[in-house]
Amino acid sequence: MSVPTGPTRRERWLLYAVAAVVAAVVLAPLAAPGYALLYDMVFVPRQPLTWQLVAPADSLPRAVPMDALVSLVTQVVPGWLVQRLALGGAVVFAAVGAGYLVPTERRATRVVAAVGYAWTPYLAERLLIGQWGLLLAYAALPWIVRAALRVRAGQPGALPRLVLAAAPAAITPTGGLLAFAAVALLVAGRERRRSTALAMGALLALNAPWLVAALVTGAGGTSDPAGVQAFAARAENWAGPLAALAGTGGIWSAQATPGSRAGALVPLATLVLLLVAAVGAGPLRRRLPAGVALRLGVLAAGGLLLAALGVLPGTADALRWAVLHVPGAGLLRDGQKFLAGYALPLVLCAALGVERLVSRWDRDLALLVLAGAALLPVAVMPDLAFGGAGRLRPVSYPADWRLVAAVTAEEPGVVLALPLSAYRAYPWNPDRMVLDPLPRYLSAEVLTDDTLRVGDVTVAGENPRIRELRRLLRDGRPVAGTGVRWVVVQRGSTEAVDPAWLAGLEKVHEGPALTLYRDPNAPPVWRRSPPGPGRWAAVGAFTGALLVVAFAALSVLRRRPTPW
Amino acid sequence: MRKALTLLVSGLVAALLGVLALGGLAAAATASAAEARDSAKSAREAAQKAGKPDPFTPEIYGTR
Repeated sequence: MSVPTGPTRRERWLLYAVAAVVAAVVLAPLAAPGYALLYDMVFVPRQPLTWQLVAPADSLPRAVPMDALVSLVTQVVPGWLVQRLALGGAVVFAAVGAGYLVPTERRATRVVAAVGYAWTPYLAERLLIGQWGLLLAYAALPWIVRAALRVRAGQPGALPRLVLAAAPAAITPTGGLLAFAAVALLVAGRERRRSTALAMGALLALNAPWLVAALVTGAGGTSDPAGVQAFAARAENWAGPLAALAGTGGIWSAQATPGSRAGALVPLATLVLLLVAAVGAGPLRRRLPAGVALRLGVLAAGGLLLAALGVLPGTADALRWAVLHVPGAGLLRDGQKFLAGYALPLVLCAALGVERLVSRWDRDLALLVLAGAALLPVAVMPDLAFGGAGRLRPVSYPADWRLVAAVTAEEPGVVLALPLSAYRAYPWNPDRMVLDPLPRYLSAEVLTDDTLRVGDVTVAGENPRIRELRRLLRDGRPVAGTGVRWVVVQRGSTEAVDPAWLAGLEKVHEGPALTLYRDPNAPPVWRRSPPGPGRWAAVGAFTGALLVVAFAALSVLRRRPTPW
Repeated sequence: MRKALTLLVSGLVAALLGVLALGGLAAAATASAAEARDSAKSAREAAQKAGKPDPFTPEIYGTR
């Protein structure tokens, strides 16, 4: 079984150059110093490595092992640089990966695939909601498919490469599942039992950190079914949510959608894309090893179906039931995330479709059309450029933050962030919402609200301790005596903090951004139970995953240098 | 003749896409902080008109 020919040396340089230009255009605002804080994207100067980040005791492990990895890396590399490397790497490797993967002899087709995959509504929307971990999975997908094809072909050294390609994807549960599905679909086969078992075992080990953390958390595995409606795919224009998904868009949040997606002609562009992709499906099937195109089709169909679950009649009710009763089914409530599995085959087909359409034309003319095809995604959605037309803009944390971090580090104890809100709008980060950075900024354990409000819908969180505290505060009772040692009141919130909540606390610091209170009688540690074997199991799973990656890296390095 | 016509039409379409892409990029590049503020203000006003909550209220993750 053969693997499609990769790009030539010159084509590789060209792809990296194109990818660098795309990344520079998309992430241009990050040339300024500071941290881009937008929705779920939180980076801090140096993220402490805490139990809560490796194995959250009272919440679902949505950012496991991503947070633990960031903590490890920021011990040696500053957070601002990690943010730039992660985002820049996601855009560059997405583009280059698609350009490498497309089975073609034409340089221009590779460029069309590269630009097409790095300039999708999916990438734009997940960037603007700040889910950079998912973007790494999106970028890793073409590399996973490429490595899986090598494993299928029985090439020596292919398995460690597959592990290395899948590792960035597995830093979040959704990305890990995407990688697992892609490998299961592409590698599995009766004639490759050993390599299939090894590949699946390695992928399981990469996914183990969040799986074990989910098993040992006290938050349970189910979530609020209200999230199904709140996070279902959204119509971006007159054509409805299914058309938005067909064009790789349709994220639930209006604020994370580029303005251009509301254009009346966008569905027409999606239709053109689908037609061209249909033309390219034949060449993709012929040029890939037998059966691979079909498996990619299953990956695409699966991704599209999961993304549409929340809006299809019947399936939305089934999903609501599953989220409430089946542990882990909450992963499916924002199903648009899984559209990455659809975006890649779509882009490959579209690139080959354009190539097929111009195959009999004069060379210059064909080049002109291919250049137009490469520009099409940019022309349809230009406002991805420059950080989503200015939405991604770095800011600096006020000096208060460093001071509060230093004071709370001196005296251990649980910190409560007030007002109770998962997301914040700070005056120093104007017109942007961001997940409260306090749990990642302080080395102490920080309790923040985990209730999500999407418009008028309230999606309850899972943390039982926060639920308990919310009930107390609603009754107007003070925080003092609950076991919380520190209370940080964050300014710039519209919701007031009732002075009754702060009764019995002593004010330690009052700054323009934060006010810090202390309960002198609180215990240094407040836990329902001490870290038990469950938490050590989570640490073991995390270490195991790191060892698998290290072993794969050593194994690849031992072989001769290769193009990647 | 046919080839020249195809070349002309394809060239025009590619040029149009180029102009749209570059124009869009230029607009995105020159989006200033003031424009971002205006855009947030419009979003707030639109939400108010539609009877929906302000999407930039700290407690709100976003609106559909």
